[in-house]
Amino acid sequence: MSIAYLLVLLGMGILAAAIWALFWAVDNDQFEELESQGASILHDEPEEDPP
Amino acid sequence: MSTASLHARWSPDAGEHEHAMFGVEGIHCAGCAGTIEKAVSRLPGIEIVRVNAATARVSVEWRGGATTLNAILDAVGRAGFTPVPLAGREAAQKFSAERRAALKRVGLASLGMMQAMMYLGALYGASDIDASMSQLMRVAGMVIVTPVLFYSGAPYLVGAWRDVSNRRLGMDVPVALALLLAWVPSVVNTMRGSGEVYFDSVGMFVFFLAAGRFIEMNVRHRQLAGDEALARTLPAQVTRLDDAGERQSIPLAALAPGDRFLVRKGGVVAVDARLAAPADVAVLDESLLTGESIAVRRRAGDPIRGGSVNLGSPLTLVAVSAAGNSMLASIVALVARAQADRPPLARAADRAASWFVGIILVLALITAAGWLFVDATRAFPAVLAVLVVTCPCALSLATPAAFAAATNALSRLGILVTRADAIERLARVDTIMLDKTGTLTEPVCSVAGIELLSNLSAARALAVAAALERGSEHPLAAAFRGHEDSLVVASDVREFEGEGVEARIEGRRWRIGRRTFVTSLAPQAQHTVFALHGHEATSYLGDEAGLVAAFDVGAPLRREARAAADALRKLGISIVIASGDSHRAVASAARALGVPVAHARLKPDGKIRLLDELRAKGNKVFAVGDGINDAPVLAAADVSCAMGQGSALAQSAADLLLVEEDLSRVALAIATARRTMDVVRQNLLWSIVYNAAAVPLAALGLIAPWLAALGMSLSSLGVVLNARRLATVQPR
Repeated sequence: MSIAYLLVLLGMGILAAAIWALFWAVDNDQFEELESQGASILHDEPEEDPP
Repeated sequence: MSTASLHARWSPDAGEHEHAMFGVEGIHCAGCAGTIEKAVSRLPGIEIVRVNAATARVSVEWRGGATTLNAILDAVGRAGFTPVPLAGREAAQKFSAERRAALKRVGLASLGMMQAMMYLGALYGASDIDASMSQLMRVAGMVIVTPVLFYSGAPYLVGAWRDVSNRRLGMDVPVALALLLAWVPSVVNTMRGSGEVYFDSVGMFVFFLAAGRFIEMNVRHRQLAGDEALARTLPAQVTRLDDAGERQSIPLAALAPGDRFLVRKGGVVAVDARLAAPADVAVLDESLLTGESIAVRRRAGDPIRGGSVNLGSPLTLVAVSAAGNSMLASIVALVARAQADRPPLARAADRAASWFVGIILVLALITAAGWLFVDATRAFPAVLAVLVVTCPCALSLATPAAFAAATNALSRLGILVTRADAIERLARVDTIMLDKTGTLTEPVCSVAGIELLSNLSAARALAVAAALERGSEHPLAAAFRGHEDSLVVASDVREFEGEGVEARIEGRRWRIGRRTFVTSLAPQAQHTVFALHGHEATSYLGDEAGLVAAFDVGAPLRREARAAADALRKLGISIVIASGDSHRAVASAARALGVPVAHARLKPDGKIRLLDELRAKGNKVFAVGDGINDAPVLAAADVSCAMGQGSALAQSAADLLLVEEDLSRVALAIATARRTMDVVRQNLLWSIVYNAAAVPLAALGLIAPWLAALGMSLSSLGVVLNARRLATVQPR
C-alpha cells in the first residue's frame, strides 16, 4: 500500500503545478480581455496615425 | 497617488458646502457600507455621507472648513477600506487588480476543492480502510484546504475581523464563524489522528463563496464600465495647433476654449468643439453620449460634442469649452452622483439585513442548545448549516443591483439618471405633463404651408424669402434656411426691428415680415389673403406691386411625437400639454396627438399651479420639458426629465436627462422603471422566502453543510442575475 503515499504526493505535485500555471496566466494578462481577441482576426492591419 | 492630487481630481465645489466622491476598495456587502458611513459621519461638519455597496462609491458632503477631504479619506482608511479615485486610469487599474485577485481565489479554491474531495471521499463509507491510510487522507486534506481557506477565503475572514473590531455585526461574521468552526476541529482531529474532519466541506464552501463573489464582481464591473467608459475614453493628451500651425502635445486639462486641435481618424473628440474650416464635414459616432449608433454628419456651425468618435478623415477643431466644462464632463459628474447615492428602499433593506445577522447568530445558538439535548453528534453540522445557509446578502443586494442595472440600461438608451431614487418615483407616475415648444415640437421652425397670391412659383417665393432672411437672427428666419437659391441674391438688406426685413433683389424692392409692414410697400394694391390654418405665425412676402405669398411658419411636431403619445397611453398614463404658446398652436398639436387636455398661454407660475392641481387630485406627475425655461416646473414635479442640446441640458435640475432628442424614449424610460420595480419586488420576495424556508430546515438538521453553502451562493447570485435581465432593454 505504500504506493498510495507516492500517488498522494504525485497528485499534490500536479495540483501545485496547475495552481502555479493558473497564477502565471493571470499575472501575464491571459485573462485581461477575453472578447476582442477572438474578433481580432476580422480586423485589417492596424490603422496608422495621420502624418 | 497622493491625497493632494486626489483632492485636485475630485475638485470639491468651493464655498459653504463641499462635496467629494470616490470609490472604495473592499466593499462586499451593505454591512461594509454602514461601517464607512458611521466612520465618516463621526467627523465634524459632515452633512451627508452615502455609500453605495453595489457600485462601491462614496459620496460625502460637508460644511466648508469644518473638515478636510484628507481627514475623510483617513477615516475611511481607518475603518479598514482603501479609498480610490473614480474614473480614469486608476479606476481601470483597480478593476484589473480586483479581477486578477478574484480569479486566483476562485482558481485555487476550485482546484483545491476537487483534489481534497478526491482524497477525503475515501473516508466516506469505506469501513475497511486501515488507520494509517485514513490518517494520510486527513493530512492531505488539511495540507490542501488550509491554503484554500486562508487565501481564497481571505476576504470573508478579513471582513469579519473588521466588523468585529468595529463592534458591529456584518454579513461576513456568520460566514467566517462557520468556516473556522469547521476548520479548527478538523485540524485538531487530524493532529490527534482520529475523529471527523470537515476539510472537504470547508473547501467546497470557500469555492462557492469565491465563485459567487467573482460573478457578482463581473456584473458590477460591467455596469460601471458604461459610464466609466465615458470618462476613460478621453485622451490624456491632445494635439494642439499653435498660431504658426505647429503641432504640440499638451495635457487635456491645458486645452482652453478657442484653441485649435487635431483629432485623428478613430480618435475621441475630447471637449465640446466646432469645425475650424467651414468646408469640412465631420462624420462622428456619438453613441457614447446618445446611445445612437448611426454615424452623424456635422457641418461648419454645428456643435460637436465631446466624447464623439471621429469616423471620417482627420479633423481640425476649435475647442468651445474647457475639458472640465464640456457636456461630457458634466454628464459624467451627474451620473456619478446618482451612482454614489443609495435609494431609500435600499437603505431600508440594509438596516433589515443588519438585524438579520444578529438574529442568525441567536438562532445558531438555539440550534446548538436544542441538538445537544436531542443528539449531540448532530449539533455541529446543524449549527454550521444555519450559519451558512442564511443569506442577508441577497436581501441587501436585491434593490441596488436592480437599480444599477436599470441605470446602466437607460444610459445606453441616451437617458441619464441623475438621482438615485428617480427610478422608484418614475415607476409610480400616472400623468405626464409635456411642454410643447422644443419638447413636442422640433426646436427649429420650418415652413408648414404656403399661400401664393401672385403667379410666382412656390420655390421662387421661398428662394426670395430665404435671400431676404439670410442674415436675420429672428427665430422665424430659421424656417427659410435650406430654401436658398444661389441665383437669388439680396442686396441693401435692412432689418426693421419687430417688423421684418427689406432688401433689393434684381432691382426690385422686397419685404418680408408682418402684414402691415409688407403692404405699406404698395399702399395702392388690393390685398386679399385666405385664412391659413396651423401654426403660430404667418410671414408675408411682397414687393412694390403688392403681396406675393404668405408663409405658415412654425415648429413642426416631432416625427415620433404621435407614436410616443400612443406608447404613453398604452402604459396607462394620461397626457397633459402645458405650453406658453397660443391657443391655436397648442390646440393643433393636441389634436394631432389625440390629447384631450391641453393648456395654452401658461407662464411658468401657471404651469406650477396646474401641476399642484394635478397633484392635489392624487396624480403622480412626470414633467418633461427643456432644461432651462422649464426648470421651476421640472423641479416641482414628482419626477422630471429634461431634453435639449448641449451643456445647458447637463446643468438642468431634472431627475432624468434625455441626451438623444427622441420623445419615444420617455415611454421607454417609464416602462423600464416599472420593470425595475418588478425586479426589485421579485428579488426582495425571493430573498425573504429563501431565508424563511432554509433556516428552519437547516436548524432541524435537514440540510447538509455543503448544500447550505451551495444554496447561499445561488440565492445571492440569483438576485444579481435577475437584476441583470434589466440590462437588455432595446430601443424600439
